Amino acid sequence: MKKNKKMILPLVSMLVMSILLSACGGGNNASSGENGSSGLGKVTISFMHWRGEDSEAFNKTIDAFEKENPNIHVEMQTLPSDQYQSTVQSKISDGSTGDVFASFPGAQFQAFSKAGLFTDLTGSSFLSAYNPKLIEAGQKDGKQYAIPYQLVYNDPIYNVKLFEKYGLTPPKDWEGFLALCQKLKDNGIIPIAFAGADIGPGQFMNTMVMNNAPSDDIFTKVEAGEAKLTDEFWVKTLTQIKELNDKGYFQQDALGTKDPAAGALFIQEKAAMLASGSYQLAQNKQQNPNLEQKLLAPITVSADQAKYEGVHTTTFMLAVNSKSKHPEEAKKFLEFLSKPDVAGAYANQTGQNVTVNDVKYDTPELQVAGEWANKKTVFQPRFTILNGDNQKAVTNSIQAVLSGTSPEEAAQQAQAIIDQHIGK
Amino acid sequence: MKNRIQLSLFLLPGLLLYVGLFVFPTLTGLFYSFTDWDGVSPSYAFVGLDNYKDSLSSIVFRKAFGNNVEFMLTVVIAQTFISLVLALLLVRNTKTKVVLRALYFLPAILSSVSVGLIWAFMYDPSIGLINYGLNEAGMSSIARNWIGDPKIAIFSIAAVQVWAHAGQMMIVFIAGLQGIPAELYEAARMDGGSKWQVFRTVTWPLLAPSATIVVAYTTIQSFKAFDLIFTMTDGGPNYATEILTTYIYHTAFGSYSFGLASAGSMIFLVLLALLTLLQFKALRADRVSY
Repeated sequence: MKKNKKMILPLVSMLVMSILLSACGGGNNASSGENGSSGLGKVTISFMHWRGEDSEAFNKTIDAFEKENPNIHVEMQTLPSDQYQSTVQSKISDGSTGDVFASFPGAQFQAFSKAGLFTDLTGSSFLSAYNPKLIEAGQKDGKQYAIPYQLVYNDPIYNVKLFEKYGLTPPKDWEGFLALCQKLKDNGIIPIAFAGADIGPGQFMNTMVMNNAPSDDIFTKVEAGEAKLTDEFWVKTLTQIKELNDKGYFQQDALGTKDPAAGALFIQEKAAMLASGSYQLAQNKQQNPNLEQKLLAPITVSADQAKYEGVHTTTFMLAVNSKSKHPEEAKKFLEFLSKPDVAGAYANQTGQNVTVNDVKYDTPELQVAGEWANKKTVFQPRFTILNGDNQKAVTNSIQAVLSGTSPEEAAQQAQAIIDQHIGK
Repeated sequence: MKNRIQLSLFLLPGLLLYVGLFVFPTLTGLFYSFTDWDGVSPSYAFVGLDNYKDSLSSIVFRKAFGNNVEFMLTVVIAQTFISLVLALLLVRNTKTKVVLRALYFLPAILSSVSVGLIWAFMYDPSIGLINYGLNEAGMSSIARNWIGDPKIAIFSIAAVQVWAHAGQMMIVFIAGLQGIPAELYEAARMDGGSKWQVFRTVTWPLLAPSATIVVAYTTIQSFKAFDLIFTMTDGGPNYATEILTTYIYHTAFGSYSFGLASAGSMIFLVLLALLTLLQFKALRADRVSY
């Protein structure tokens, strides 16, 4: 009896361990049956993405989809974007979860397409619902692997009322932009709120480089060793960013300012421009309902040399997992999301513009970004840098000039890092 | 014999955890460090020692290693000194001192991610509490761009690390101090020893084992710091706070170079093992008995 008692503890421990381990292994698709079937011919598909803040809007979309397709149940799983970036590949790679999943453009899209995680959507009828130019980011080797669902304009936001108060209009060239900043500064307004500690360099570099770059694929050439950051286009861009900083057109100590703090300066109307993008419009308005906002891109060249008026990014790229056991049902869900009324409801609830055609936007903020559909914009140059280390080297060279390094030296330091990746 | 089998069953849960959560991932990491695996593709190629060569010659890796050493030395020196001073001040078990001990210990139980986010906000040059307080107190000249200036950013984060863990180390010192027999102090005082002499000849030698524990723990803890730097600066500005753990993270999840990141992890593991070994030797050498 005593010996039996001795055995109880190890056995209980083993039992607990096995329950724990099996719970870890089975966490991906807890409520789905085998093969994603959840009884009586009903199929469960998993929808994985990083936009937890859109869950409420997506839940309504899913409800409507399930009403229309009673045999398909959609299970949504969201992860914070950092976590999504680091763990999604392990979750979706065996097809047990993420029948429909979202991907970031750039490095993640490249890695996933190389790994064959995307189902080829080329020729799907629902693609015609999208603006063809805006879904190019989801293409590779002529095939449509993912559909960028969200449309963002990565152009600085400006306070319309403040501009009107000082008689300012969006300038057409670099001299005009400097004069505008000076006037704001002279009137005690911070010209540009710049989140130098985190998102600022990665956002602001896009509009600053768009007209300086000799070609749209300049960063692709840099990564291939066919161009260098020490070339004129990047040194000029760094010089102009340094000029803005040295003249006091960013808030003081911009390099120590994070996104929320820079946003607060703009929302409190202490700053006239915010170096972020259209994705921030709705949030700003929520925090200061008196704000009237529009987008403005600094033109870094003379008016006649300007190729582009701004920058756009198409992101939140929706795809069907190539390992999915229910690709048809997954495609059906994508088809449903592609309907203008469904996409419109999502856009109006979340405050994000979409790439779907004929969507009606309800709020002024969405309409502001919608107006930019007719302007000449280029796809976000930063996302054309496919290696994460290289991207960091580029944005860090901006931080370097803001901390006092000369543009030439900062470009050289960044190029040295990129040189280590060339050919690998 | 049967009894031994039964007893060894008790080891199983711990052993399984150790193998599953340490041995297996380490061996897997070692394996991938010789490949060009991107972390996503089902296929990969063996590249021999290329990842190790690339890591050791990488500008960012070297910078990260230098930052790591700088961060570690700052934290070890500052944390050991401050926790010792706090322990000497609060060693007696009066009500006030017990409350103060609890207060100083409090940051150690906070999540390091929360600590990082709060301090990043406090350090903000525009709306942060620290510069605001300094300006209000007429000490504007001391106000700095705490985590935005590449020259001081690593020290600003080290200060937060010390703030968060000095109280924890203070408890180790207090335990050591309370274990020193009172008669030794009496004898020293009767011999006419000054406070400094008593500290130097009685307190410090007998506190050496505690100091070794504090230094060993702080060294390893600061060398493998990640959360604070990740949340406060993410390695910036311009790599000024990039350390080995953030370099490994960025290489794996930013560049999808899992093979290279695994090689970085293996080098990091060896460095950490060497540090631990040195500490362990020092710990054995410093044992004092009375």
